[in-house]
Amino acid sequence: MNNALRVMLGLALLFGASPAAAAAAVPLDDALTARGKKVYERYCTACHGPNGDGRGYSAQWLDPRPRDFTAGIFKCRSTPSGTLPTNEDLLRTLRVGFYHADMPPWAVLGDRNLRAVAEYLKTFSPRWKEEVPGTPVAIAKEPLDDPTSRARGNAVWSTNQCEKCHGPQGKGNGPAAPTLVDDWGYKIVPFDFTASEARKCGNTPEDLFRTLMTGINGTPMPSYADSISAQEAWDLVHFLQGRRQQ
Amino acid sequence: MTALPLEALAIPAFARKYGMSCSGCHTVWPKLNDNGQLFRDNGYRFNRGRDNPVTRSGDYWPLSLRTTVGYQYQKKTGVQTDQGFQTTQTGAFGFTGLDILTAGALGEQLSWLLVYTPGLNGAGFRQGGNSGGDLESAFVGFHRIAGTPYLNVRVGKHAPDLPLDEHRILTLTQAYSLYHYHPAGSTVTFEPGTNQVGVELYGHSELDRLRYSVSLLNENNAVLSSNIVSTPTLWGHVQGTHYLDNDFLAAVKAGVFGAVGFHPTSFSTTTAGPVDGTATHLKTWERVGGELHLTFLSTVFPLTLTGVAQYGTEDAALIANGMRRADWVSAFVEAEYTWAINWSVVARYDRSHSLHAGSTALPPNEGDVYSAVGVLRHGIELTARTAAAAQLEVSRSSTTTAAVPSPQGPPAGTTVLLAADFAF
Repeated sequence: MNNALRVMLGLALLFGASPAAAAAAVPLDDALTARGKKVYERYCTACHGPNGDGRGYSAQWLDPRPRDFTAGIFKCRSTPSGTLPTNEDLLRTLRVGFYHADMPPWAVLGDRNLRAVAEYLKTFSPRWKEEVPGTPVAIAKEPLDDPTSRARGNAVWSTNQCEKCHGPQGKGNGPAAPTLVDDWGYKIVPFDFTASEARKCGNTPEDLFRTLMTGINGTPMPSYADSISAQEAWDLVHFLQGRRQQ
Repeated sequence: MTALPLEALAIPAFARKYGMSCSGCHTVWPKLNDNGQLFRDNGYRFNRGRDNPVTRSGDYWPLSLRTTVGYQYQKKTGVQTDQGFQTTQTGAFGFTGLDILTAGALGEQLSWLLVYTPGLNGAGFRQGGNSGGDLESAFVGFHRIAGTPYLNVRVGKHAPDLPLDEHRILTLTQAYSLYHYHPAGSTVTFEPGTNQVGVELYGHSELDRLRYSVSLLNENNAVLSSNIVSTPTLWGHVQGTHYLDNDFLAAVKAGVFGAVGFHPTSFSTTTAGPVDGTATHLKTWERVGGELHLTFLSTVFPLTLTGVAQYGTEDAALIANGMRRADWVSAFVEAEYTWAINWSVVARYDRSHSLHAGSTALPPNEGDVYSAVGVLRHGIELTARTAAAAQLEVSRSSTTTAAVPSPQGPPAGTTVLLAADFAF
């Protein structure tokens, strides 16, 4: 490695740039963004605002607040915490919406329209001009979901102090819950795993595994990719699957 | 000539509930887009855990109001008076009436819709108003029976599933004659454009690309025959939609529909009239038709061309002085272009033509209806709280009749409406 490269890498690490940022960003597709703008104007502006800042006229009535796209921070991703989502991540969110929030599923619009609006969302934040999406986290093969795995998951739940926010029964009423706010300072309620079958970023075990390993950006929910193993993540998934039946 | 449709559904209460703009569910309100249709078919649900009323703030009330006010000019030719046939013209300020709507999801699998139209003598641009208030719609829905979207049931007064929903059309001076036409002398009172009392079994794919509906109804306003289901009508409709990855033709929708009814021709009477439950000698009438909707440019700001055609026939016994089956064809073509969220234009040509009149004393084209209508609609206010639109509409219609020949030709009318349409 030559000196210049060492200096650049050192500077990048010093200022906290991710490896993804070092790669060249993917230019936006102008035709797609033009089409996406129309989709956005019809379906998204009321909540997310014409400037994508989450300040549409309905935002004041919504809890949780609509996402501010200008920050380039996205909740449900397959990519590591802090990185941009992939196109497929954006599409997945647009298709299924968010459970226990006012973001409806938009799959009915068809993928052609959703791909266009996903591209248009990227025009709101400069991050998309400077970074590339992160590399999706690997989802290990799911082991058997049995009482033993769930018991181990209970231990992971305790060790990682999940109950501080989500409460001892996973009802979203932990002691820290009243103090939690998102990156924009809005009060945020930890997820209640017992309220329904639905999960924030998708209902399959793989969706839950992915959420544990990527975290939910913009919220206090961190990524556990560096603190638990894939086996432990699956055990925790199985434990949480058990919560939904209570 | 057709009266103003009394009920026109647009339910801003849903926009308030979800914070969504009208444009999220309506191409141009009150006409539903595919998202709105799916929401309706799902029993007024997005299925994201926020539909049940107990999940919402108590401040939310599922109540909406709608009316249309404005000025209407009307010119009629061939108007029969004691002084002979005349041409009349009127210009009146007025309003269409009032719709009071409440609808929503109940619990996990139930829904309801109530639409009350109060009796308002002053409604209708001084053309008689609607003196008898009525529940235009009143049903409870049971959804995702056995966990599948293909099994849903509505019980109560509901709109038969139509190629284009007449309660959500943009034209205010002309209904579709295809939904209201009867052959000359017909005693059948069923009109698919009018809400009916009965039970509907319907279903759809997850994204509504395939839909079906079957309704078993009691024929509106008919004497009830002596049966377990009296004076029954069976209405069915299947519709499929395909989205194309194409900048020219964005989507194609096609469907077929049909109905069969059993109408009594004999009944016991009192001085007050026929007695329900005594009617017998049921005779049949049938309708069958098809539809094609081509959506150009995009499904978001669409240019849609729609064609609907129908063949109908009624037993001779159902026609006054009938000596043979009456049959007819009806068809309309409609073009609608919404080039911005708040601008739409609609044009429609509608025709119902008698092939054989039931009475041989009548000419074959007796009762034929022709109408054409054009609309320019501008959304003034489209938010998650309210909706208001300005509308300029011009329509013309005529009905052929040999019974009272006029030197001016068949009775015809031209209507110009300038109106403000608003809903809360």
